[in-house]
Amino acid sequence: MTALVAAVSLLAGCGSFGPPDPVTIQGRETHWLYYFVMIIAALVFVVVNGLIIFAVVRYKRKPTDTELPPQIHGNNVLEIIWTVIPTIIVVVMFVFSFNTLNSVDAVANTTDIRVRAVAAQFQWSFEYLSADGQKVLFQQLAPEMTIPAGKTVHLSLRSKDVIHAFYVPKFLFKRDVVPGRENVFEFTVDPADAGQTFSGQCAELCGLYHDSMLFTVKALSPADYDAWLAAQIVKANQSPPPAPSAQAGQVELDLTAKDLTFDKAALDAASADKPFTIKFQNNDPGTTHNVAIKDATGQEVFKGEIFNGVDNRIYPIPALKAGTYTYVCSVHAAMTGTLTVH
Amino acid sequence: MATTALTPAGTATKYGLYDWLTTTDHKKIGILYLVNSFVMFFIGGILALVVRVELAQPGLQFIKEATYNQAFTIHASLMIFLFIIPILAGFGNYIVPLQIGAPDMAFPRINAMSFWMLPLAGIMILTGFVTGGAAAAGWTSYAPLSEARYSGVGQDLWIVGVILIGTSSILGSINFLVTIFKMRAPGMTMFRMPIMVWTVLVTSTLVLMATPVLTSGLIMLFIDRNYGGHFFDPASGGNAILWQNVFWFYSHPAVYIMVLPAMGIVSEVLPVFSRKPLFGYKAFVFATAGIGALGFSVWAHHMFTTGAVYLPFFSFMTFLIAIPTGVKMFNWTATLYRGQLIFSTPLLYALGFLTMFLIGGINGAVSAAVPVDFALHDTYWVVAHLHYVLFGGSVFGVFAGVYYWFPKMFGRRLNETLGKIQFVVMFIGFNLTFFPMHVLGLEGMPRRIANYSPEAGWSDLNLLATIGGFTIAASMLPFLWNVFVTMRSGEPAGDDPWEGNTLEWATSSPPPPYNFDRLPEIRSERPVFDARHGLSGGGHG
Repeated sequence: MTALVAAVSLLAGCGSFGPPDPVTIQGRETHWLYYFVMIIAALVFVVVNGLIIFAVVRYKRKPTDTELPPQIHGNNVLEIIWTVIPTIIVVVMFVFSFNTLNSVDAVANTTDIRVRAVAAQFQWSFEYLSADGQKVLFQQLAPEMTIPAGKTVHLSLRSKDVIHAFYVPKFLFKRDVVPGRENVFEFTVDPADAGQTFSGQCAELCGLYHDSMLFTVKALSPADYDAWLAAQIVKANQSPPPAPSAQAGQVELDLTAKDLTFDKAALDAASADKPFTIKFQNNDPGTTHNVAIKDATGQEVFKGEIFNGVDNRIYPIPALKAGTYTYVCSVHAAMTGTLTVH
Repeated sequence: MATTALTPAGTATKYGLYDWLTTTDHKKIGILYLVNSFVMFFIGGILALVVRVELAQPGLQFIKEATYNQAFTIHASLMIFLFIIPILAGFGNYIVPLQIGAPDMAFPRINAMSFWMLPLAGIMILTGFVTGGAAAAGWTSYAPLSEARYSGVGQDLWIVGVILIGTSSILGSINFLVTIFKMRAPGMTMFRMPIMVWTVLVTSTLVLMATPVLTSGLIMLFIDRNYGGHFFDPASGGNAILWQNVFWFYSHPAVYIMVLPAMGIVSEVLPVFSRKPLFGYKAFVFATAGIGALGFSVWAHHMFTTGAVYLPFFSFMTFLIAIPTGVKMFNWTATLYRGQLIFSTPLLYALGFLTMFLIGGINGAVSAAVPVDFALHDTYWVVAHLHYVLFGGSVFGVFAGVYYWFPKMFGRRLNETLGKIQFVVMFIGFNLTFFPMHVLGLEGMPRRIANYSPEAGWSDLNLLATIGGFTIAASMLPFLWNVFVTMRSGEPAGDDPWEGNTLEWATSSPPPPYNFDRLPEIRSERPVFDARHGLSGGGHG
């Protein structure tokens, strides 16, 4: 009983000794299971460590201890007790985790919201599939997944090269993205979390820039999601607008991406309050890049089209006030540089 | 350096460099294992500090991803393959023949060959740093990242190095098994063998059954990379998950290879410094064998998130393996009960092992619950867990062994004050480094990332872990100084400085080349205790 109180206060004492509040129905079950096994674990720790500390404090050799202590070789009853009790504990833990597993890992295949995450070194993209899963309605090259809150999403995972892992900490879930194998899982974001964005990242070492393989999951209300998806599909089916050409007298900057870095760490534009263009060359075959510009507060003021290499685009940049901006690749957060407008 | 530093001043004949290079004496080979392992431990430790320095703040300050990925890959490879596994084999080499009353190992020349493969392997793995980049696919080297398309020549050097280490382990395990089965002194029945010998016996069985599987896998990977094999690369019809199955079929039993002998050391130290026999000797033997057997049925708990594993089976077996481990924990604790504890440095390290390995066992059981593992797998939780097992467990056990057997090996006792200072600093540093990692993992920080966002909220705990890492490094200074001053002018130890129980304390320190002039009668698992006190009740029965 004392141990129980101690364990509970231990857990309460370090309030953060638990996973984040889950945002999915499935994550909630994992969250509950975590605290169930953690409290048992804390109890075991307190009891066993308490026994060790007690022995250490109590049985220090005293100068009067000239005779040997009683030479006890063992006790079969005790051996049975401390075999049976742990067996009961671990069987209980197994049964509870098995039950939770069955609901967390269930794939009912009844939903018509189907998304496929495609992972490659070092980027995420998302394909929105038709209800039967056969047709790609629209492909989102930015590492941003948009899903409806309150509806079950069927997510399949495909890798183009090495093993990656789809991990959203607030889902309390990850699943490996294995080449040659299509893993699937289903999740349902709590309707109360509509409008929120959750961060995720690759959790399986996938090579050089593993650390920059980030993505976000944006939950919309089902109505907003339907409108968003319809708009995206319309946009995807439009023929691309003609590439703008640099107008006479307009400043044009050159920027190249190669091996997941920009060739220039800084750009200089002598064109405050005037539109200008960036001619962007993507020299990474099969890898998507773009250029987005953020102001000093982190607000995005321009986001260029994301496209596959090797190719190029001319981005028309709107008029910017004099000052310092950062340019980044929306797909690879580690690719950055400084743009000075004066 | 080896010649002067390792010579036990005045107590035995001086050995020249040529002796050390050509020796087939199990004791000298044991010491070579220890020295080589500590060299690797310090190199691996420096690489760990490289990792910790970069992670101390968000963003990339000191090194780029390329260097970072090499640093953690080689850190883990050295610590696992070239420090923990060999140093325990080194203790086994030195101690097992002495404890069973044998003059040497069964195959002394093979024993020397097993050792000399290790420095060679270390050099191969480290050569990657000067040939365009060391292996950087993690110590797990998951295919296809470890295939030729994604990683360079450092990966080949790593493969060859690990094959050499595996071969060394296999030869060593056969040597141990034959020695233990065939060379025990008269009266030394199986159930009178010290627990250390039992743990080496079970470990050797694990090595013999598991290591050939890894070696085969490594050769397949080498063929994939260099001769167009298609074993593990899905792009050409291979199977990426196959590598994980083969790798973990070895590498999970390897966790027990890295822990069982440390448990053996602790099981030697606790009875001596409690002045009591080990509680539940036979239960201990059965628990050790049980861990060894169950250890082969849990490998896929490293693969819960692959979607390619039958989850309930591996989850259940993983929970089960907690039971024999728990039995040991209770027997160790019961050994302390009603004893007369002498708080010398070896006991402090053994107690450190008990409390830290307890955490490593418990946080492992938490992640045996599959849905919880879905959340925690490949996060810093796992980094915390494995360090509580391999550092809190094995490394504390190693230092218990160093302080316990140093007087036997060199005839001089390490300084107690310096030893206790080292223990306290290391214990604090260890917990500062690795306890916060539980929270980082729960918050979602993946392992093996060089960079994280300042907005992630992981900065403070990472800084704390880095401070802890340097505290651990600082704890090595009193240790090195202790070894240095003790070698020069340490207190002579005598044959039996701790009032030991087992046969190594029945010969001189250091022992003569043939180990024993005469053996005491062996009528229990504590022959030296019996000789000192008269036989007290016939052992454990």
